[in-house]
Amino acid sequence: MGRIVGIDLGTTNSLVAYVDAATGRPKCIPGPYGSALCPSVVSLDADGGVIVGEPARRRLLTQPERTIYSVKRLMGRGPADVRDELKLFPFRIDAASQNVIRVRLGDKVFTPPEISAFILRELRNWAEAHFGETVDRAVITVPAYFNDAQRQATKDAGRIAGLEVLRLVNEPTAAALAYGLHEQQRGKVAVYDLGGGTFDISVLKLISTTEGDIYQVLSTNGDTHLGGDDIDNELIAREWTKRGRAALAGVLGDAERSQAVRAAVIQAKHALSVAQEAMVQVAGMGAESSVRITRAELEEIARPVVERTMKPVRQALADAQLKPEEIEEVVLVGGTTRTPLVRETVEKYFGRKPHIELNPDEVVALGAALQADILSNGTQNMLLLDVAPLSLGIETYGGAVAKIIPRNSTIPASAQELYTTGVDNQTGIEIHVVQGERELARDCRSLARFTLGVPPAPAGLPRIEVKFLIDANGILQVAAKDVRTGEERSIEVQPSYGLDDAEVERMLEESIEYAEQDFAERQLVEARTEAESILTATAKALATEAAARISGEERAAIGASVAALKESAAGTDYKLVRVRIDELNQATTHLAEVMMNSAISSALEGRNLAEV
Amino acid sequence: MNEDTGAFPCAVKIQMAEPHISNNPPLVCWSCHERSLGTHFCSSCGKLVQLAPNIDYFAMLEMPRKLWVEADALERKFLQLSWKLHPDKYASATEQERELSLRHSSELNDAYRTLRDPIARVEYLLSLEGMRKEGETKQQAPAELLEEVFELNESLDELREARAAGGDLAGLKARLQDAEKSFQGKLGAVDAALQSGAREWDAALDAPGGAPDVRKKLLERMNELLNRRAYLRNLTLNVAKELAA
Repeated sequence: MGRIVGIDLGTTNSLVAYVDAATGRPKCIPGPYGSALCPSVVSLDADGGVIVGEPARRRLLTQPERTIYSVKRLMGRGPADVRDELKLFPFRIDAASQNVIRVRLGDKVFTPPEISAFILRELRNWAEAHFGETVDRAVITVPAYFNDAQRQATKDAGRIAGLEVLRLVNEPTAAALAYGLHEQQRGKVAVYDLGGGTFDISVLKLISTTEGDIYQVLSTNGDTHLGGDDIDNELIAREWTKRGRAALAGVLGDAERSQAVRAAVIQAKHALSVAQEAMVQVAGMGAESSVRITRAELEEIARPVVERTMKPVRQALADAQLKPEEIEEVVLVGGTTRTPLVRETVEKYFGRKPHIELNPDEVVALGAALQADILSNGTQNMLLLDVAPLSLGIETYGGAVAKIIPRNSTIPASAQELYTTGVDNQTGIEIHVVQGERELARDCRSLARFTLGVPPAPAGLPRIEVKFLIDANGILQVAAKDVRTGEERSIEVQPSYGLDDAEVERMLEESIEYAEQDFAERQLVEARTEAESILTATAKALATEAAARISGEERAAIGASVAALKESAAGTDYKLVRVRIDELNQATTHLAEVMMNSAISSALEGRNLAEV
Repeated sequence: MNEDTGAFPCAVKIQMAEPHISNNPPLVCWSCHERSLGTHFCSSCGKLVQLAPNIDYFAMLEMPRKLWVEADALERKFLQLSWKLHPDKYASATEQERELSLRHSSELNDAYRTLRDPIARVEYLLSLEGMRKEGETKQQAPAELLEEVFELNESLDELREARAAGGDLAGLKARLQDAEKSFQGKLGAVDAALQSGAREWDAALDAPGGAPDVRKKLLERMNELLNRRAYLRNLTLNVAKELAA
């Protein structure tokens, strides 16, 4: 068996982590660009190759039609669910989508689990490169408020990526695990997790027993469509208003233009976590067209989003039967909690300073790694008791819902129901399973429909016992038994939104084709491509009039860097190529400035040559 | 849109009448094939055992069918058993053991969820003893409350009318608040009566011979109290909702 890892499959970024056997501490694994954050972006190039992460993120600006981000928003959802989403996100949903969405990337069509699988495979490659060993099992995190279909879709993604998914762990719970270990904290803890696309709040009790520490989730709540993306969309709308459609239309093509604006507002938003004001500078437009934004303006936009998180917070506390002041520690998770407004709001509500010691981007992956270690017999002195976020119910007569497992039940949880027939010789009993808190089935999330086979008999005589079980992943299993004969009845559960086993198998086979390109080889190809473009740019720059104004010494230094890069690109070490690229960038920074000063505009100062 | 358009008539759910009476053959451990006495683990080889088909929640938590339960002690027991039964502890065990752990720990969680709540605990005991059908509540007003309930409903109607007509609400609201308080008081009395019923039940169990007649009467009394409680609770919730509107 290969290694086991913990993966945070995020809306904006994904990470992979493991527990270091020597220290017993979890660690994130950096990718080829040095960062542990892998942007959750997937791009398909013209010859069918798949590009994931940072290079894919860059392609959002140049190849928006072939590139997709925030695919987590589509997981486990049907076409009707995402209609609102489509107004804000450039997802190209294939018309043939039925109960599973199909997204168009260039000339190919993929389901969200397949796209997520590309991200998982990339992270798996990072881990395999790091260990020098195969990785075949993983714990993957999901938002606590994910429903059954969204969880199943995540599990499918793992399988398509060739990983055995040992467990799905709720993100806030994973964060609590990492925090508990780090801080040696005990007592009642609230985890506030605001990411790119999802919001979760979980209330936990950390208990020390003679055997070890138990992390018991008391309640959880959230919104699977609330996050930093919503703030970004408002900021983008503001840019369109401020600049006027016409001004932006002149810059680039449609898809590219919106990605350029998106990148610019995100950069400004990040800057405002520290600074009081920032400039929104859209790539391809001169600096004179930058729009100023203050933190107060950002907060005005962010406030409704932050306010929306407070209702789930209050509900989670009510469900745990706790008052805000009874919470002993508050932990912030997710990149959006870097926003000062979020920190202030949370601090005010709970009356205490939230914990921010651990990197909010990494803490979920670290917790996933810990849970992976627990499941592979490493860490033995910790136990997680999680809950089902939503009530499970059965549609009854008249479309009402009979709740059989209430929300916040510790999982695994089960319920047994006994059914009979209403008419003579009825051969089937139809069961509709839903998830949610509403009174009517049509307002809840449909999970599955199935028919119980019944031997012909007078009405009311058959006795079929159905057992509903929510496993430790928060996923439903159903089994039925004829009480009179003791015979197990098989049930074909047709998921309302999701892939069946055969589809997942087929996708797994297809994905292996994509994965055949060796990881290092692909890295080398990418590095060489980048080397190529900077070498061309350098040669062009050296031929300009402006270049005459740099010293001979400098010219010689650039020449040496060019030679070194060419030499490394002829070899097979992609890391060395990256080092040489950086060196050439350094060597040409001054040249780029000279060129800009003389020819174009002073606004582009500080950029490197490839960007000019 | 009504989604109940299946090919078959709507499922008829049966209330579990006497599902918990089991007459199991002596258990033989699936692993060591010895006779096993443990609820969760084989008394001879220590492996997880096949759960008895209709094991009750009290037995799951290894406690007698008593109603007076110390919350802290129950929680300790639950955590201690969770530590031994949770699927995480069997992640690398055989498939059969993984299945068993899923079964044991889900039943354990169901048992704790039910027994930690004093009212659900009494309801569950009554269903175990064949006194009460799951989910069954009488929606009829207890006779001695009829007059008061009638008045309350009148006040509620008046409040709704006054709200619709934009009339003065303060007086009506004050009257409803008084009524709510009175019903809350009655609810408190029911809870107290249930508590003393619970203590009597435990005492009867401890009495020589288990005092079956006393227990039967107690079950009947508690069943009535539960019906009364359900009725009062509904009433106070309605009033609270109307006052908050």
